[in-house]
Amino acid sequence: MVAKNASSGLRIGVDIGGTFTDFVIYEPHNGRLQTFKVLSTPGDPAQAVLEGLRRLPEAARADIIHGSTVATNALLERKGAVTALITTRGFRDVLQIGRQNRSSLYDWSADPPPPLVPTDLRLEVDERVDHTGSVIHALEIQKLDDLLPTLQQAGVASVAICLLFSFLYPDHEKVLAAELRRLGFFVSPSCEVLPTYREYERTSTTCVNAYVTPILDNYLTHLQTALPQARLNVMQSNGGMISLAEARRSGVRCILSGPAGGVVAAQQLAQMAVPTDQGDLRLITFDMGGTSTDVSLIHNKPTFTSDAVVGGCPIAIPILDIHTIGAGGGSIASADLGGALRVGPQSAGAEPGPACYGRGTLPTVTDANLVLGRMLPEYFLGGQMPLNPERSHVALQELGQQLGLDAIRTALGVIEVVNAHMERALRVISVERGHDPREFTLFSFGGAGGLHAADLARRLSIPRVLISPLASTLSAYGMLAADVAKDYTQTVMLPGDSPIPEIEATLAPLVAQAQADLLAEGLPLEHIQVTCALDMRYRGQSFELTIPFTSQPSADFHAAHQRAYGYQQHQSPTELVSLRVRAVGLVKPPHFTQAARKDSDPSPAYLAHYPVAYASGKRSIPFYRGEALQPGNRLPSPAAVIRSDTIILIGAADTAEVDEYLNLLITLGSETI
Amino acid sequence: MADALTAYDPIRLEVFKHFFAAIAEEMGAVLCKASYSPNIKERRDFSCALFDTQGQMVAQAAHIPVHLGSMPLSVAAAISKFPNLVPGDMVILNDPYLGGTHLPDITLVTPVFSAVPSQAQLLGFVASRAHHADVGGITPGSMPISSEIFQEGLIIPPVKLAQAGQMNQSVLDLLLANVRTPQERLGDLWAQVAANQRGVQRLQEAVAHYGTTEIFQSMQALLAYTERMTRRLLQTLPDGTYSFADALDSDGFSDQPVPIQVSITIRGEQAVVDFTGSAPQQKGSINAVYAITLSAVYYVFRCLIGLDVPNNNGCLAPIQVIAPEGSVVNARHPSPVAGGNVETSQRIVDVLIGALAQACPHLAPAASQGTMNNLTIGGWDPRQHKPFAYYETVGGGMGARPYADGPSALHSHMTNTLNTPVEALEYAYPLRVRCYAIRRGSGGNGCWRGGDGIRRDLELLTDAQATILSERRQTRPYGLSGGEPGLPGENVLIRGGVETPLPGKGSIQLQSGDILSLRTPGGGGHGGNQ
Repeated sequence: MVAKNASSGLRIGVDIGGTFTDFVIYEPHNGRLQTFKVLSTPGDPAQAVLEGLRRLPEAARADIIHGSTVATNALLERKGAVTALITTRGFRDVLQIGRQNRSSLYDWSADPPPPLVPTDLRLEVDERVDHTGSVIHALEIQKLDDLLPTLQQAGVASVAICLLFSFLYPDHEKVLAAELRRLGFFVSPSCEVLPTYREYERTSTTCVNAYVTPILDNYLTHLQTALPQARLNVMQSNGGMISLAEARRSGVRCILSGPAGGVVAAQQLAQMAVPTDQGDLRLITFDMGGTSTDVSLIHNKPTFTSDAVVGGCPIAIPILDIHTIGAGGGSIASADLGGALRVGPQSAGAEPGPACYGRGTLPTVTDANLVLGRMLPEYFLGGQMPLNPERSHVALQELGQQLGLDAIRTALGVIEVVNAHMERALRVISVERGHDPREFTLFSFGGAGGLHAADLARRLSIPRVLISPLASTLSAYGMLAADVAKDYTQTVMLPGDSPIPEIEATLAPLVAQAQADLLAEGLPLEHIQVTCALDMRYRGQSFELTIPFTSQPSADFHAAHQRAYGYQQHQSPTELVSLRVRAVGLVKPPHFTQAARKDSDPSPAYLAHYPVAYASGKRSIPFYRGEALQPGNRLPSPAAVIRSDTIILIGAADTAEVDEYLNLLITLGSETI
Repeated sequence: MADALTAYDPIRLEVFKHFFAAIAEEMGAVLCKASYSPNIKERRDFSCALFDTQGQMVAQAAHIPVHLGSMPLSVAAAISKFPNLVPGDMVILNDPYLGGTHLPDITLVTPVFSAVPSQAQLLGFVASRAHHADVGGITPGSMPISSEIFQEGLIIPPVKLAQAGQMNQSVLDLLLANVRTPQERLGDLWAQVAANQRGVQRLQEAVAHYGTTEIFQSMQALLAYTERMTRRLLQTLPDGTYSFADALDSDGFSDQPVPIQVSITIRGEQAVVDFTGSAPQQKGSINAVYAITLSAVYYVFRCLIGLDVPNNNGCLAPIQVIAPEGSVVNARHPSPVAGGNVETSQRIVDVLIGALAQACPHLAPAASQGTMNNLTIGGWDPRQHKPFAYYETVGGGMGARPYADGPSALHSHMTNTLNTPVEALEYAYPLRVRCYAIRRGSGGNGCWRGGDGIRRDLELLTDAQATILSERRQTRPYGLSGGEPGLPGENVLIRGGVETPLPGKGSIQLQSGDILSLRTPGGGGHGGNQ
């Protein structure tokens, strides 16, 4: 299914963003890579995709790997399928009660997000299984008929099923699913979506799947119909791709499809470019866009989480741990009643946009950058959209009057405050999780990242910043760099000292399933890697640590607990809570040839000197055209590199050079100006 | 407005606000991850905070509101007992009369000194507080219907758990010998130690980076900032005196309601909150120590400020709190206090909001469920051959707002703990959940409806002792502006299919097969019915 039998050989990565749909095209036979962008069509995202593909005659028979916001948007905008939920009698409200906590402690006006399935479509069946997987009350399947009129009258298309302890005893869910499928419903039983314990998180994940999958299915069917000979794959939130057939069953796996592409790309590109310490790759990815900023951490592998919440819904399948904050170039700056300068969380978005776009009047981060001379109005988006710095100046001046500051000082403050927001986000994924930023490289991408990356790295003592030439189409590139990957989880609740053969026996069906699924994706056996891991804890604890499966699980767990939390309890019995299997089908990523280093002198790319405002005063610094820089070029400091998609600011004590892959590598100095 | 914009830079103010909050939050993340018991890990019943050298709270992570006003008193108690703390010291306490709230809440206070050993300059304090699932006493779970504090568990006055970097094993041994689940306690205490150590490290790094002058100035600027925000809020409220009274159902020994009364006087940008007229301290364990009352006042004003301001001592600076000593809102030693923290704190919030609704009717919600529905079940677990102690609180209806219905089935006001998942609970304890549902129709009617409560039915799979400490079983959560009150809660024993009502507070010996059904109160409605 993947590259092997592709007729045209062409591989195309597509990422649908809010403003642009990005395309990266790779020709494996000659290593050529090209990128372009098409304006997105939010009403019908397939339009932009098809329009872009029409520009490439070979696309009709290409391998297309696709990052889709269709499932994400269906969830965020609550435009999913009409969904019903079937639970064990007495538990239909679990979905609404959630964990009974409120999201804002000190806000009486806050409302919990409405449940994906409304009260009257949450139905119950008589059945009960206990914590050992024994049936206490057999399923009364004949009563399903009583529920059908409700489903039919409400026009239900999709049904989620989540019964208590179904991860230990799935038969009741399977019987219900078979019956409902026979009747033509799309059915998501929790034993297929996420057979792990904790009923609320499992119910929520299952309902998300039921809610978004039919929408994703429609969209993918539309694409496949328009491109009958192309091979379509979809990027999942775990950083691996799956075939169209798989994606049509499990939309929940594709919720963070686009951002996952960025992380995969960062890992693959940095592997070539970043000097590694003792062979370790340590990256913090930083994707600053217009309305939000995504950050994540890679230590050889990307970090995963099973605690994600999207649109108010917990999604407990393993996905890339991408931390998002609502601060970006469009974030609005304001003064509060206590006299503090705030930035965000409100954003000017694309409409009305920052003041300098000509419609809005409120100052944003972009306006601050413009007023400080860190952006050149005539070069924005390659000159396609000239900016109006006068409007930015007026907006910042008005804000400054409330704070007793002039426009420049206010603009510097806006930058400092938004950097504080982003520093906090970077701390959450690094220091809060026990990683020392001094060992990492900041991999910056997204349109707004280059203006803030060096300052942020300095605040966190990150020694190095890397900016790829693909920075603004990175997610689409990531689709090409991704392997096929599928994750399987199963709660088992065994003693931690269970004999290894017993653990292997419980793993065997998952491993067999994983291999079968990847073979079905068209991968040759020799390209399939299956790894097993165990979720363990001390008995009585309620959170688990995931450790690779070896011959001594308990000893491994004690050591992992010591590393993670600073103590261990050798005498305490351990528990094996869940099994995890990950199957990866290796796909050859694009290969880059190193260009020879040329002269260190960057003058051919020199544009002009422009004044930039710093806290210490104005200073004229050289600007370079990014597209004209050559491998080996060393830039003076301070300096700025201006590209059609982003601007990169280099501090006074930093050193910056262009490597053999045209990445810009900034080594941070300690001082700012 | 220019004079309010004091010397401190508006930009640094915002930057350090994030910075200090991040330290408290990181401590919380460490505590949550490293802790052992479901009560801390699943239910998140803990708080972490950062203090200046005087013990003024500079930042608290948004965890549990009832800890808000009371954490600074813990640090004050530690400083008062040990005025000469040295690097590596760590003070532990839970004595409600010396910096605590109720005995299960164990607080660790660590002084932070500069990392340079030659100049051991005090930089501030960090503290973590966690609700431990058992600290001894007459009933498992340590939330008894008691008549003196000695029945509620082990009392820990401020003592050093660590001295100059050395753990005080004797204190630890004494503590663990007095609790029902020592292994779990030890794991949770280690998690608190780890959280404090992380806080120490971060504050030291901050000082190394910014210098002591900048850090100290920014702390004071943030206190002043929150104070300014409170003063501005008070200024927007019309001057006057606003009074309100409500009552607790009982103290668990007599059937008499226990009145709580408040008069709030707003004058310009200051307020006096006077609880004179509230009932004297009671025989049963519903007494609140002063720290609780302070927390409730803090919480209500913090909500009215409405913006994302740091949680620090500045909030209370323009507010004078009068709580007569020996009353139910400022109990004297050795009154029992297990329920003051969880139940009386909610009623104090109710009277405060009731009074302030007269000053700002467009903001104040009707009464929420007004209880935390504390349930403890303990005994011998025949499946694991060891004792068990299960503690849970149950959410209910929130009061209707002047502009919207009240949300259903959530924890309100002074707590925000999570539930124990059914599948986690049944795996850990000899209990089976028979029903976990929204109690429909329990919210008060009105133009806007109060939120509905919860019904949670637990079947015992072994004989065990259950203790219920609940409120609003007699009195009802009030409505506002003509809205009807919410339904009171009910505690019911179902034995052999027969339902028997249980009192709001009491301890009962249950048999295997019994079902304990908690039906929690709905929130009050707002506005007359249209």
